[in-house]
Amino acid sequence: MFTSLRRPSSSTVMVTINGQSVPAHAGQTVWAAMALAGQTVTRQAALSGEDRSAFCAMGVCFECMVEIDGQPNQQACLRRVTEGMTIQTQNITEHSGAQNHGL
Amino acid sequence: MNADVLIIGGGIQGCATAYHLAKSGVSVIVLEKDYAGRHASGVNAGGVRLLGRDIAEVPLSKASMQMWQGLDKTLGEDTGFRRRSLINIAADDADIETLRARQQVMQSAGHSHERLMDQQELREALPHVHPSCLGGVTSDLDGYAIPYKATLAFKRAAIRAGARFMEGEELISMRRVGPVWLVQTRTADYEGDTVVNCAGAWADKVATMIGDQVPLSHAAPMLMITTRLPHFAGPVVGAVSRQLSFKQFANGTVLIGGGAKGFADRARNETRLDYAKLASAARTAIEFFPIMAGASINRMWAGLEAYMPDNLPVIGPAANADRAFHAFGYSAHGFQMGPITGKVMADLVIGGICDFDLTAFRIDRFDRKTL
Amino acid sequence: MAFDCAIIGAGPAGMSAAISLSAAGADTIVLDRAPRAGGQIYRSVADSPLADVSLLGEEYLQGAALIEAYENSGATHMADADVWHIGSDGTILFSRDGETHQIQTREILICPGAMERPMPIPGWTLPGVMTAGSAQVMLKSDAVTAENAVFAGSGPLLYLIVAQYLRLGVKVAGLVDTTPLANYRSAMHLGPSALRSWPMLHKGLSLLREIRASGIPFYRNARELRILGDQRAEGLSFHSNGRRDIRSDTVFLHHGVIPQTNITRALGLDHVWSDIQKCWHVKSNAWGQSSSPHISVAGDGARISGAEAAQSSGRVAAANILTRLGRINLQDRDQQCRLDHAFLAKQAPFRRFIDTLYNPAPALSLPEDPDTLVCRCEEQSVQNLRDGFDKGAANPNALKSLTRCGMGPCQGRQCGPIVTGLLAKWRGISEADVGYYRLRSPQRLLNLKEFSRFHALSAQSDKEAAE
Ligand SMILES: Cc1cc2nc3c(=O)[nH]c(=O)nc-3n(C[C@H](O)[C@H](O)[C@H](O)COP(=O)(O)OP(=O)(O)OC[C@H]3O[C@@H](n4cnc5c(N)ncnc54)[C@H](O)[C@@H]3O)c2cc1C
Ligand code: FES
Repeated sequence: MFTSLRRPSSSTVMVTINGQSVPAHAGQTVWAAMALAGQTVTRQAALSGEDRSAFCAMGVCFECMVEIDGQPNQQACLRRVTEGMTIQTQNITEHSGAQNHGL
Repeated sequence: MNADVLIIGGGIQGCATAYHLAKSGVSVIVLEKDYAGRHASGVNAGGVRLLGRDIAEVPLSKASMQMWQGLDKTLGEDTGFRRRSLINIAADDADIETLRARQQVMQSAGHSHERLMDQQELREALPHVHPSCLGGVTSDLDGYAIPYKATLAFKRAAIRAGARFMEGEELISMRRVGPVWLVQTRTADYEGDTVVNCAGAWADKVATMIGDQVPLSHAAPMLMITTRLPHFAGPVVGAVSRQLSFKQFANGTVLIGGGAKGFADRARNETRLDYAKLASAARTAIEFFPIMAGASINRMWAGLEAYMPDNLPVIGPAANADRAFHAFGYSAHGFQMGPITGKVMADLVIGGICDFDLTAFRIDRFDRKTL
Repeated sequence: MAFDCAIIGAGPAGMSAAISLSAAGADTIVLDRAPRAGGQIYRSVADSPLADVSLLGEEYLQGAALIEAYENSGATHMADADVWHIGSDGTILFSRDGETHQIQTREILICPGAMERPMPIPGWTLPGVMTAGSAQVMLKSDAVTAENAVFAGSGPLLYLIVAQYLRLGVKVAGLVDTTPLANYRSAMHLGPSALRSWPMLHKGLSLLREIRASGIPFYRNARELRILGDQRAEGLSFHSNGRRDIRSDTVFLHHGVIPQTNITRALGLDHVWSDIQKCWHVKSNAWGQSSSPHISVAGDGARISGAEAAQSSGRVAAANILTRLGRINLQDRDQQCRLDHAFLAKQAPFRRFIDTLYNPAPALSLPEDPDTLVCRCEEQSVQNLRDGFDKGAANPNALKSLTRCGMGPCQGRQCGPIVTGLLAKWRGISEADVGYYRLRSPQRLLNLKEFSRFHALSAQSDKEAAE
């Protein structure tokens, strides 16, 4: 269980994590916001589809790739939350098909 | 060490030649300065393409394509080959004209593997293509394979048939004394009745040792590959007149090529990338397939490839020496030709003839021309 | 834009170097991915989200002064700059605000710092397993902690974060120390007299005392570690005087740090394998100069030696670069570096002691269980790699081409050291002879759309555009 020891701060923003609307501190990493919201699955592994979560929190492992505002492969431990941001567990495996049926 | 045949170069041409020779009971040693598949054959785009070939190459390429369809079985190995068809997209009326003219040439030569597609068919085959594209041309047998896997597959099958591979062995001299070729590397001496030059981007140096001069150049075609994308393109994609070329592999990654070249330094086994040119390949890809705008590039690289002035390979006997043969200079489309090259070279080495007219591929075809 | 020197990484090494370079008038730019200078160790010290930052310790607080000196140095600081290409010609490409920018520089100083040594125990890919370094990053930059977590491994950084947690009143489920008993004996042989006066040793010992005094479960000489759980971590199982399980939803692993070499690899610089530190590092001389004279390295990214030494090595590299730029002569350089060189020499035996004491247990560096994943991105297990090796892929690049191990987004950062080790073991040769992946730019994932907007600009026209 992740908890916050942050000193009271004034500026919070609202973000949506997997459909759930949660408050987060402005300037906080996306991963921290996810961890505190109990939404710790960042992506599904590409072959097995198994759940993965942040591992290094410093940008080297790429386990924390999530979709932010529809854009995949965003490192949650490096990106910072902004007002209205939509964060989604990334699920791109070998078997995913493109969603829309073309142009 | 002795063998009937010494092959210089462990790329796909060298490995396939070793395989076909060993299978026929000929003793073979492959000398490779790095490791088999280290260069073009292991790092290319994996395109197995018959579509749009120079007419002189079509008979060989067609035969090779037949071999690819059953290659995993033949070799008892996984080459990663997938038949996916290849579509060259026509972006405008000029492209359509080009395709019509080509169609006539092909038909009068008796080739029917290239089929024109109208806009509707194109959209059905590639739903994500930009709607302004007018049509295209396709070849059904085309697809892709995994370059290093395929090269290693030939190597392993060759070894099982008795071929020997000496890796880390760079050729430093080669001369014919009486009926034998004496070959020296940095660490050992070899002797053989016959030599086969499959030295890729270094083949002109080997040719010189054999006694043949050849106007070979080398360059570093560049590639980039994305992380996995949801599947959006089944067929391999090219374009009639634009620098567009990509394929989405079964694992979802998209390999983007397009022929842009980086900087090649073959003496140091090195290539450098030209990012501005790669960026323009990225632009073209997004222009034709807007869905790719969200892709993430994971890796970029270049390989050292050998080019002839007419973009056709050299395949056949040496002009100025006995019992020496060449197979090199494939000009960025030789991966597909690997299987048939092996067969042709084995036929030439063993019986002196093969099933194909090799006139267009003679090593001395530029001898009297001023370039 | 053109600069005399570009520094990659604004940690202690990069900041110290920038201060020296700017003081001597060299036009210096520092690029860092973080929003604020500080690097890993001094991350967020200037704007900590914690109520009482002093609980993180004296050393951390000292960073604030360095950051201030750096920010007043006159060097151009490029924050949020994600460098994705460094060319040996002095071209640097970086992403910032969704666009790729280009600069040119005469001299390059690479200070990318360290990363944690991968610790591939069975289950290390399960959600809930993180590194001790991640615990520290979360704490420093976001004031986020994990209640009731297990910490496992060995080395000063592990003890530091546990002590910090305890000081902050965060409950810790246990510390599982994997330092092999044999290491204590080898370390003692190094001549305790050389170390007695060393204050850092004292600091380390007091951390351990602090942890022991807290009364949290503390196991020593732990072996055969395994993460409990199928879908996500449920605890850690290990052997220490018998089999033990500690239940927890978070396990932090750590057994030392290694230099981040992806940039120096992609530059084609020479690298050497260190048998003492059990890792690769870029080859450099006493002035931090790599095998390419205009490319220098400093700090933990050059060679693991800690924050204080990083500052010294940064200043030394800067002084040498200043001679190359013609701004100071060799005598001045040598004079300027006297103290730093003396410090580096003095701390070497201590470093050696730490490296010996916390030498990673082989069984924790190289997985033995065939199903354990080596490549986290492409999910390649020990068995998959062994199969590839048996097929004839006997070097890291061939194995990568055949199995896709190392082809994923982390670009081999996690699997690379393991692959070198496994191949060395299987072939019965040294790591140095096995070698490493050939790497290339981009250093990180690069959005295709962003890249498509990139046009190479000559240094001059870029400068004009900027004006
Ligand atoms: C980036 C790129 C993309 C490509 N894409 C495609 C594609 O999609 N489809 C396609 O069909 N083709 C493609 N090609 C072309 C194809 O890869 C080559 O035409 C083909 O692999 C050539 O095979 P090779 O055996 O002649 O050359 P190589 O694979 O280069 O093998 C030559 C070998 O000879 C060795 N050698 C050289 N000199 C010596 C010496 N003195 N002593 C010992 N050994 C020596 C070298 O080390 C090397 O391993 C591409 C090429 C590149 C570089
Ligand atoms: S958690 Fe490792 S890159 Fe983000």
